[in-house]
This record gives sequence, structure tokens and C-alpha cells, in this order.
Amino acid sequence: MSFRQFAFGLTATFGFAWLAVVIVPFFMMRSVEPVAFTEAADGKEGIYHPKTTGRVTNGAEVYASNGCYNCHTQLIRPTYAGNELGRPDWAGLKMDEERGDTRRESNVFDYQGEKFAQIGLNRLGPDLSNVGRRVEAEYAKGGDAKLWLMMHLYDPRANPQRPTSTCPSHRFLFEEKEVLGQVPQDALPVESPEGTVVIPSPDANELVDYLLSLKRDDAVPASMNYGPATKPAEAKPAAPQG
Amino acid sequence: MSQASSQSPEADALLRSEIDRSLRHPVMFFFTSGAAWLAVALLLGIISSAKVHAPGFLDSCSWLTYGRVQPAHLNALIYGWGCQAAFGTLVWLMARLSRQTCRAAGLILTAGHVWNFSVTLGVIGILAGGSTGVPWMEMPVFAWVPMLLSFVVISIWSMVQFKVRPAGHVFISQWYVLAALIWFPWVFASAHLMVHGFSGSPLMAAAINAWYRSALVFLFFTPTAIAAAYYLISKVTGRPIYSYSLSLLGFWSLAIIAPWAGMQKLAGAPIPNFLPYLGAAATILIAIPAIAVGVNLLKTAAGAPETVVNSPTLRFTVAGVIGLLVTGAACVFLNVPPILRMSQFTLSGYGFDVLAIYGFFSFVAFGMIYFVVPRITRREWLSSRLIKVHFFLSVYGVVTVALVAIFGGVMQGLGQEAFAQPWEDAAMRAYPYAVATTIAWIFLLFSNVFFFLHLALMWLRLGRRSSHPTLLGHGHHANLHDSIHGPEGDIDNAGPGSAPAH
Repeated sequence: MSFRQFAFGLTATFGFAWLAVVIVPFFMMRSVEPVAFTEAADGKEGIYHPKTTGRVTNGAEVYASNGCYNCHTQLIRPTYAGNELGRPDWAGLKMDEERGDTRRESNVFDYQGEKFAQIGLNRLGPDLSNVGRRVEAEYAKGGDAKLWLMMHLYDPRANPQRPTSTCPSHRFLFEEKEVLGQVPQDALPVESPEGTVVIPSPDANELVDYLLSLKRDDAVPASMNYGPATKPAEAKPAAPQG
Repeated sequence: MSQASSQSPEADALLRSEIDRSLRHPVMFFFTSGAAWLAVALLLGIISSAKVHAPGFLDSCSWLTYGRVQPAHLNALIYGWGCQAAFGTLVWLMARLSRQTCRAAGLILTAGHVWNFSVTLGVIGILAGGSTGVPWMEMPVFAWVPMLLSFVVISIWSMVQFKVRPAGHVFISQWYVLAALIWFPWVFASAHLMVHGFSGSPLMAAAINAWYRSALVFLFFTPTAIAAAYYLISKVTGRPIYSYSLSLLGFWSLAIIAPWAGMQKLAGAPIPNFLPYLGAAATILIAIPAIAVGVNLLKTAAGAPETVVNSPTLRFTVAGVIGLLVTGAACVFLNVPPILRMSQFTLSGYGFDVLAIYGFFSFVAFGMIYFVVPRITRREWLSSRLIKVHFFLSVYGVVTVALVAIFGGVMQGLGQEAFAQPWEDAAMRAYPYAVATTIAWIFLLFSNVFFFLHLALMWLRLGRRSSHPTLLGHGHHANLHDSIHGPEGDIDNAGPGSAPAH
């Protein structure tokens, strides 16, 4: 084996795989074709437009820089790859009051607007694909969802329903401020030294905004909904939502 | 190797000691600062692992929150210890095997400092809250360009040395060294460019990141460690490599299979479906090069069992080769489809990384350090007891971390898949394994603090002045010395080819 053959072999074996799994998919995935609803399958026409609200970009940065992805995932796998769809509140809600069963697997549009899809490394905590939905509909049922998340970030184990949570406290995202006039509206109901209140920092506000925006259970066109066979029939009447 | 040389033994020994002397500063710098980084990485590892089972531990400070300490721990382990140990190994091996003294030691040393400085700033950046949130690429974006440039400066002279080597046989280690030198910048640059440079699909960025993590292990740490293992085992036992065909199979199967591996970490994500499953298949097939290389090396070492026990170098290297075989087995176990869905988002991913980086790569790197440092400092290791403590604590520690995390991860995965049970059941399953992992990291930290001190003393040239290497057995040293190190084993402190010190 001459050096020339050796170098060619190295370049060819690596380069082929590199093109096939890194370069070509990267450029092909750069622009994804929009998917349309069809009258026959979905009961309505038009392009599927996923909407996210809130300060997603800033919040995702706080999420990233504090390493939430070390314990939380954002991926609902299809049933051949995992059982997330089976849980009652991970992939959407099993019994949404208005829309019925909203559970569906993650799709390519769910991560729009983010720089890096935080698929996550480990599940020491629950999946967060639909944490916004879950907090509003279950954890803070009827109450203030934003406050519930703030309190959770401030001290996850203070909630009597979650004594075993291993989520770290993010007290460093909050500030102790002296009260000079009115008590600020966003002050947390927690203990603090006399004459001060605890209020969320801009980072905490952005993070909570981002987490509340995680509601990846909107109705998708039937052509890209690979959920269990019973689903389309149930989802159909619920599809058009303002 | 020495047989290929037509020079007289004296001239040969003189050349070797000149090569060692020319590389003394850069190689010692890589090894010592790598060992210091290892101690830092282990300390951060203890803190982060403790937080998994005791979330209140050190939780008042933003710098020490789990989400920052864990990435800082892995980045320090990979870029601080792993890469620097690898650079020292690659540079020294290529110079020795190409029989060229290094004429750019100052430049390599400077580049090493730049690398070290970038990694320091990067790790501080992660702890300070500047993490990019991209696994294994968390260091703030300013760090990767200087790191890439300093790698180029470090590696270019090794390429030149290979180019101008005297004509003759190319040893197996040189294939792997060249491959590592070519693959590392290719993998590192393309992953960082795709993720930080170009804007593209956030999902492909995640997929390329998963590929990068796998490629760094299989296309940089693995070839570097295999190069060192081939060299050390045949050198110290004085035996030829068992089978040339197995060597060829081991090399080319790695080159063909490893670049496809990695994206199985995104199985089930909305990316083209062939990517994760091709990745899983390729990772399973990594067992082929692992077995080919492992068997080849163990067969070579098996011819001199006493040497393996007595030589610190061989003991670590052979343990590392066994680590390679275990890594190959873990590749198969964790990635077969029924297990992949359970291992994908659990502790076993981390356990696998620790197994590959510590259980395999680092053990071989320790073997390399125990071999090279006496030659370049012209002093012998001070204490065989320290070496033994290092060896046994490391073995106990890494076996616990890797196996507990891999097994515990699968248990955790079983809990996750049981979708009819409340989530708390699955979350609680990680607890006992996390406790065991913390204890094992403490063992590893303990063993490596001693290793670092021992190495620092050698770096200060406070090692023993002797021509008898420090061995671990109780045999008669003079005899062992001759039988163990073969014609080239003498570190030339007093031999005929000895060059004047300094």
C-alpha cells in the first residue's frame, strides 16, 4: 500500500460518509416544503402554519446556557422508537376539554425559530415538548401558569406535590429587591428579608416565556400525522381552532 | 522500528534520545497540563454527579448549577485532558516512528498554550453562563477557531516528519496517527461550521452535533489510543504484532464504519429516517474493529505475560485494550433497536462516553505517559506504589462509573417506557446509580491527584536517576530490566548512546 493509496483510502472512506450523513442532509433540510391541509382528510384547506408566541429566541438561549438539556428532552418519538405518545400529558393532552386527544409526535416544524433543536441528552426530568400546555392545563389548573413556573424554578421541591423532584433550584435567576413604594406585581410569594421582595430577573422572564411557548400539539395535516390509527377520526372535528 | 534501521545500535540510541530531547517541552506540557485538567474534570464530575441525587448540594451559586457543571466537566475531560494527552501521544509517536527530531518544539509548545488558554476560557465561559447549549460544543463561540488553528500548528510538523521519513517500513501506529491527524480537523471544523457558522435546520444542527460526539470518540480518541497501544505493546514486549491481516482489518473497518455512526442519538426525531438507523447500525458494527484490534493486541501481549504484570506501561495499556473490547460490546448492546429506545435518553449515554474516553482511551494514554515521560525527562518514576494505587483505583472507579451508568441507564429506560406508570417512578430510578457514580468519581479523583503529583515531580526533573525502570513486580530488577525493555528499552541515562543531559 503506497502512501497515495492510503491517503486516497482515508479521504474516500471518510469523505463519502461525511457527504452522505452530514453535508447533503444539512443542505437538503435547510428549506422544508410547507405542508397543506386537504379538504378530504382534514376538513379544511390551507397551509399548515405552526405558531409560537413569546420571546422564544431569548428564552431558548437561557435554556441552553443553563444546561436544561442535560435532564430534559424535547422530543416525542413515534411509537416505533419510544413510548412517549402513550403518556397522558407528554405529547399533548389525552383529554383536552375543547379539542379531545391532541397527542402527536414531534415534527420538523416544531423547532422553527430556534438555533439548535434541544433534543436533550437524558430524561432525569420529564420531556418538555408540551410543558407549556401541561402547566396551563394541569399543574396550574385555573391559576397563574407563569407564577407556577416561576415558583418551580425558584424552588422545585417547595411544591408539596413534588417532594422528590431532583431539579436544581434556579434562585440565581431571581433578584432580591428593596421595596421603596408599591410591591411589584411580579414579586414571588416567598420569604425574603424584611422590606425586600423576590422578583424574577429578565432571564427568568424569558425562560418562563419560552417554556410556556412549548405547546407542540397543534393539529397537523393528516398527511404528516402518523399517530395511532384511531386518532384522525377523533381529531377531525377539533381541527379548526382560532 | 529499530530492526528496519541500518544504523549501529549506538547511533540509533543517540538518535532516539535526541528525538526525545527535542520533544521534551511540548510533550511534557501536554501530559502535565492534561493531567491537571483531568483532576479538574474529575472534581467537576463529582460535583455534578452529586447533584443528580442531592439537588440541594451547592445550589446557591449560578456557577455551580448542574446544567453548567456537567458540561464543564465533560468539556474539561474531553478538550483539557483527552485532547492534550492525545496531542502529546501523536506528536511523540510520529517523531519516533519517522525517526525525525522535532525542529519546531517552540511552536508546538506555543500552540499548546493557545489550546490550553482557549479551553480555560471556554470552561470558565460555560460556568459563567455563556454556554452555547450544544453538547460537547458548549464552550462559547470564540473558543473553537483558536483551538482549530492551534491543532493545525501542532499536527503539521508530524505530517512533515512523516513526509521526510527515511524510506522503509511504515509501522501500523503510523496509519492510525495519520488518520487521527487528518480526521480530527475535518470533524471538528465541519461540525463547528455547520452548527455555529451556517444557519440551517435546527434539527440537522442537533444531528450533526450527535455525529460529532461520536466521531470525536471513534475517529480521534480511538485511533490515537490504538496507535499508542500497537506501539507500546510490541515495543515493551519486544514481540512483533500478532497478525498483519488483523491489523489491516482493524484499521480499514474503523475507517469505513466509524464516519457513519452517531445520529442514533436522534432516533425518532423528525430528520430523514435513514440517518439515525444507519448510525445505530454503524455503531453496532464498531464491534468489528474493536474485536480485530483487541484480539490482535492481546495476542501480541499474551506472549509475555510477566512483562504485562510488571511493566506499568503495559499494565495500563492492556487494561485499555480490554476497555476497547468492552466499549465494542457496549456499542452493540446499547444500539440494538429494542435497547436503543431505552438507552437513548438515559444515564447510559454518559456511561458509554466515560467508558470510551476513560476506560479505553485514558488507560492507554496513561500507559503512554508511563513509557514516554522517563525517556524525555531522563528520570525514572519515583514510586511503584503510587503507580499501583493509580492503576487499581482507576480500574475500580471506571468499571463502576461505566457499568453502573450503562446498566442504570437501561433500568431508567425501562421506567420511561412504562408509560402507564407515573413519571416519578422513572425519575426515581436514576437515584441509586447516581450515588454509585459519585462514589466512583471520588475514587478516580483520588487516584488521579496522586498521578498528577507524581507526574509534576517528574516534570520538575525530580525523578529517580537510574538506568533501572520502575517496575511493579517483586522480581530481580536487573534481570527484568533486560528482559522487559528489549534492545531499545534502556532509557539511555547511562548507556553507550547516552547524550549529555540538558
